Amino acid sequence: MEIPYTVTARPDTGLYNAKVGIWLFLASEVMLFGGLFSSYVFLRIGADFPWPFHELKVLPGFINTMVLIISSVSIVSAWAALKARRYGWYQINMVITLLCALGFMGIKSFEYYGKFTHYSVILHDGTVMDGHPGHASEEHRGDKIALGEVKSFSVNLAKSETAFLRHRRISDGGAKPFGEVPDGQLIKVRTPSGKEVEFTKSWLSGQKRDYRDLENVRAKLATLQARIDSPKARVEDMKRAVTGNYPVPFDAARAETLMAEHQQLQVASAAKLKELDEKIKGLTAANPDAAASTLTLQVVGDPLAFRVDERALAKYNAGEIIFRDDVVLTGKLTGDSIPLNADLIDLRSVKDPEKSLAWKYYPGLKPAFFKHVEEATEAFKKKHPAHANDYETNADWQRSALRVSVEELAPETEAHALMHDESKAVQVERSDKRFYTNFSPSRSPYYAIYFLMTGLHGLHVVGGSIVLGYFLFTGRRMYKRNPEHLANRVEVGGLFWHFVDLVWIFLFPVFYLL
Amino acid sequence: MDHSTDTPVHQDGHDSHGAPMDLAKTVRSYLKVGGVLILGTFLTVAVAYVPWMQTGVHWADTTIGLLIATIKVSFVGLLFMHLNHERGLIYKVLFFTIIFSIAMMFLFVLAFLDPIKAALLN
Repeated sequence: MEIPYTVTARPDTGLYNAKVGIWLFLASEVMLFGGLFSSYVFLRIGADFPWPFHELKVLPGFINTMVLIISSVSIVSAWAALKARRYGWYQINMVITLLCALGFMGIKSFEYYGKFTHYSVILHDGTVMDGHPGHASEEHRGDKIALGEVKSFSVNLAKSETAFLRHRRISDGGAKPFGEVPDGQLIKVRTPSGKEVEFTKSWLSGQKRDYRDLENVRAKLATLQARIDSPKARVEDMKRAVTGNYPVPFDAARAETLMAEHQQLQVASAAKLKELDEKIKGLTAANPDAAASTLTLQVVGDPLAFRVDERALAKYNAGEIIFRDDVVLTGKLTGDSIPLNADLIDLRSVKDPEKSLAWKYYPGLKPAFFKHVEEATEAFKKKHPAHANDYETNADWQRSALRVSVEELAPETEAHALMHDESKAVQVERSDKRFYTNFSPSRSPYYAIYFLMTGLHGLHVVGGSIVLGYFLFTGRRMYKRNPEHLANRVEVGGLFWHFVDLVWIFLFPVFYLL
Repeated sequence: MDHSTDTPVHQDGHDSHGAPMDLAKTVRSYLKVGGVLILGTFLTVAVAYVPWMQTGVHWADTTIGLLIATIKVSFVGLLFMHLNHERGLIYKVLFFTIIFSIAMMFLFVLAFLDPIKAALLN
């Protein structure tokens, strides 16, 4: 069956069908992005913290704007070339469009990478220190919690898994338990019943299965017992109702019937009760370690060491760490700091900058910081005499005076070492930390909506490129058969592409400039 | 340059007046629009770095920045997306879209006029 009106216009609309379709789709897209822009306005107006502005590097956004403008010109030129029946020009323009799309995504990836590898520590007094974790590679990144001397651990047979084992490391005495555990090096443990076994996924699965079997029998026993006790419980209810808020007279005859029913059930179920009880005893005797949900295991041989990302944990203290799936490791906390090569200090949210926690870690930068504040204040007052008295509440002053890069606070060589040399990384105590994150959506509502909107826009670029690429690489046959049909297809694809450009025209100033 | 909307749509690469399409001329006009868009981008960046506080008009960077963006979007819409001469159906669809999206931009006002929140604060 042939799809109607793909080339000629439909008489009632005066348009070919795909064009009506794409405009309706674009209308829905306007509402989608409109909703997100509206959310942005809402978040920015309602923010109770200094809203980041001029925080993104303008150049990549600027280049990407140019790239999208070029691609818009090339896609509409590709369509015009088809209309003029110049297939070669069409191909050239489509290739330019696709290269622009590739360039756009490349620049965007570069930007995203920079944000995901840049971190920010917000301390309890509001001090913000941005920088890079002391160790560059993911495995050796220093922002992990290290627990050594683990001589025992417990698992919850109802919910624990063996995922915690991937955090296990070879300990070299607690100072740097960074080494990977060689494959095949298993943990030997002693169970509460005195058995020595190798702690593996299959062993734990066996224990969990035995525990589940036992729990099933226990549940059956409990259900049966509840059924037997039910008439008796109703009599108890009746007794209580006599003296309740809404007293009900005690029905002695009914109570007698219920008690008789209870006794009958007891007699009738005695054999089943005994059978279930015997079964429980049998299962418990077969595997006493699976009798309770919590199974505590003693490590046989050398104590274990672990390095764990805080996000994998439910909580931790000096003597134990508890994973989200209830695995509890008992040992000694050997590492609980965040090594950081800071590149920026921001004291805008600190009540008294003189007493900022930043100076605990960078005492050497304090004099330079306050010298900078003085200079920035003088410059501000000179520029804005009208705000000479209320400059402290001015967002521009706060930004220029209290948010300072390390490069401005130390001589070039020293600043470079502080920012990049791992041996110069400060150890930020986790107890000082209120929030620690990279510049990902979790950093702040600004970054959350930045990633949401640019990510969604990026997906549109990818989707559009796939469609346009399809037209480029498979279009020749259609061009030979019916060039107008291909022109219409490219026009529809082009309309979508222009919309993608149009969204970016707003995204660029909103996120990068304003 | 919407040739596809005529009935029947051209099968032979002619424009709406029946004359063969002059590709070079058409592309030149698109390049001019592209030039305007690039100029607009430079202007937007330049405006963002003007110290508006000194002039006493704090709102200027946002207003001018978004105004330039709107002008750029109009160019894209009118000339690249052919909205300068489109069929009535498309205008009708877009009319409602614009009305609803403008309304959505001001939804935050409802939060500030929230009587329950106001009562709690008082």
